[in-house]
Amino acid sequence: MTLRVAIVGCGKIADSHIEQVRAVGTATVVAVCDREALMAEQLAVRFDIPAHYTDMTKMLAEQSVDVVHVATPPDSHVALATAAFRAGCHVFLEKPVALTGHETRQILDAATQANRKLCVNYLYNFEAPSLELKEKLGSGQIGPVVHVEATYGYDLAGDYGVAVLSDAGHWVHRLPGKLFHNVLDHVVCKLAMVMPLEPVQVSCLAFRARPAVGNPVIDALADELRFTLRAGDVTATAIISAHARPVGHTLRVYGRKDSVSLDYVGRTLVPVPRQTQPSSIGRLGPAIAQARAYAASAKRNLGRFRRHEFHFFQGMRVLLDQFYAQIANNTPAPLSHAEILWSVETIDAIVVQINRQISPEQRADA
Amino acid sequence: MKILITGAGGFLGARIVNSLLRMGQTDLRCQVREGRGVEKLQQIAKDAGAPALEIVACNLLSERDTMRLLEGIELVIHAAAGTRGTPADMMLNTVVATRNLLDAAVAARVRRVAVVSSFAVYRTESMANGAELNETSPVEAVGIAKGPYAYSKVRQEQLVCEYAERHGLDYVFVRPGVIYGDGGSAMSSRVGIRALGWFFSLGGSCLIPFTHADNCADAMAVAALNGAPRGIYNAVDNDLPSCNDYLRRYRREVEKLRVIPLPYSLLLAGSKYLLNYSKRSKGQLPAILTPYIVKSMYRKLGYTNAALAGIGWTQRVSTAQGLDDVMAALKKPKA
Repeated sequence: MTLRVAIVGCGKIADSHIEQVRAVGTATVVAVCDREALMAEQLAVRFDIPAHYTDMTKMLAEQSVDVVHVATPPDSHVALATAAFRAGCHVFLEKPVALTGHETRQILDAATQANRKLCVNYLYNFEAPSLELKEKLGSGQIGPVVHVEATYGYDLAGDYGVAVLSDAGHWVHRLPGKLFHNVLDHVVCKLAMVMPLEPVQVSCLAFRARPAVGNPVIDALADELRFTLRAGDVTATAIISAHARPVGHTLRVYGRKDSVSLDYVGRTLVPVPRQTQPSSIGRLGPAIAQARAYAASAKRNLGRFRRHEFHFFQGMRVLLDQFYAQIANNTPAPLSHAEILWSVETIDAIVVQINRQISPEQRADA
Repeated sequence: MKILITGAGGFLGARIVNSLLRMGQTDLRCQVREGRGVEKLQQIAKDAGAPALEIVACNLLSERDTMRLLEGIELVIHAAAGTRGTPADMMLNTVVATRNLLDAAVAARVRRVAVVSSFAVYRTESMANGAELNETSPVEAVGIAKGPYAYSKVRQEQLVCEYAERHGLDYVFVRPGVIYGDGGSAMSSRVGIRALGWFFSLGGSCLIPFTHADNCADAMAVAALNGAPRGIYNAVDNDLPSCNDYLRRYRREVEKLRVIPLPYSLLLAGSKYLLNYSKRSKGQLPAILTPYIVKSMYRKLGYTNAALAGIGWTQRVSTAQGLDDVMAALKKPKA
């Protein structure tokens, strides 16, 4: 069975959706849609898609579509996702899922009522290091998790940063958590792999480290965030930074039996060093063990590259493969509703703290 | 005459403002993105002894703001474009922005729109070695085979032509070759590309169709003011260096590079392999160089600026002087 896919939202991430749909091989893109006709046209032309629209309702009426990929800004997700469910389609949503947990519940309820499947592009949970981590957690090698540390960096001098900082009308400025709201999923969805899906306690520090430019909208955008979470007996700390170099993307999971360090830039998972011998001899072994662990990771990555399983968006490909299998064969969902909701409600709790943390001086400065 | 210059805070746009002031045009409205380049424009006006410029921060993606921007304008010089980012960014900042500008131009009854286009619109893949590229050379029907930038510029020109047919709007296209100068890119991809710590020299003895930013700005101003209705003008300088000439000089004066020269036949074979690998591996490595791009960009063509000279353009900065200046600027340590 080949699933018929439509893409709604023809911005920069839409390219990756089409490329990965095609790479999975069990689905085909039949139409694309964007409110801006020229954007819909360009995506259809560049990828040779047979139909393009400016109205999703019209598209779903004219095309037979199994899955709608929603790749628009998040303030449109509730309306688009619920309309797609009502039309009988399954939905693959770009992150952020929605502006709030309340909106996310509306989307999840609509999926349940329509008996359709929902998945969110939490691609990093399906990258090789995350898949290895899930195996280790499942096999009990790590034991009960005690704490998680996450880092996520971004470069405001890049294309995305320039677009946001040069345009006070950019949709990121409309998000409750502004810039962080658009990247927090990358951190929080990974925490959902290891933390109990219970309400969290949050403490948070957010501020702007770049100079003010005099535009109140742009200067209200904080660019450094630290937070601590607690859910049940598991805690987490995270640093989200626009200024730390090199731009990092890591996770470190501390278990009662063992701890592991994941690097999403280099796609590695290695054990945290452990002293196994006494005295100064015991200080020699860990570095050698680390070197061997990294060498083994490099070898695994080379194998993946040779087998063409090392695409930049490989995690998205794995996720889509599992989601399409869920639709076609009723296999387990790659992401549960509970996991999605916990991630969004945790982001809500962090955003409340962020907005309290923007200092009066920064507001005045802005 | 009230003239609007879009992208006026940019590398070329600010120089177009300077060229217009030099030609005695002082009633200028300068569109910039979120305050970028304002100080540079103020300095240009001061140096030219001109009255203060009208500088407007406006995002051309906002239809409402663009409508307001065009009020009272007779001539538009459209230099704003998306030259970086993803294909969607280029489409948005080049094509959608141009559509908004054209809608506003029609509403404001603008007389003429002069557009900074590009050599990228030409269909050079099928041209014979040694042929001369001029304004009558064939143009790409779609342009996507040459990459997203070419596609966005082809679609931009098509859009302008559609509006001209529908609304009787006059236009002028200036198609620059490779714009260079202080503040511009150090190395055109026509010369070669950096990868894995090496510099792959691709252009060899092909001429680089350089146009110094000041000369290109003069070309824009002259074409906008004096160009024929629906005129098309290639902007390229005289005494063009070859890619090898430029690379030799760059290595001698600016930066030591570990260079691997790739002859055309090897480059073409490599691009075929890369394209096949990209398809086989489902895009694990993107096909940044395809045989079509190699045939389009890395062949020996001749260039002319006769059409531009015919409407009064002369080369203000000689190629020798321009290259001296740019090498000196590149040698300076970055702030």
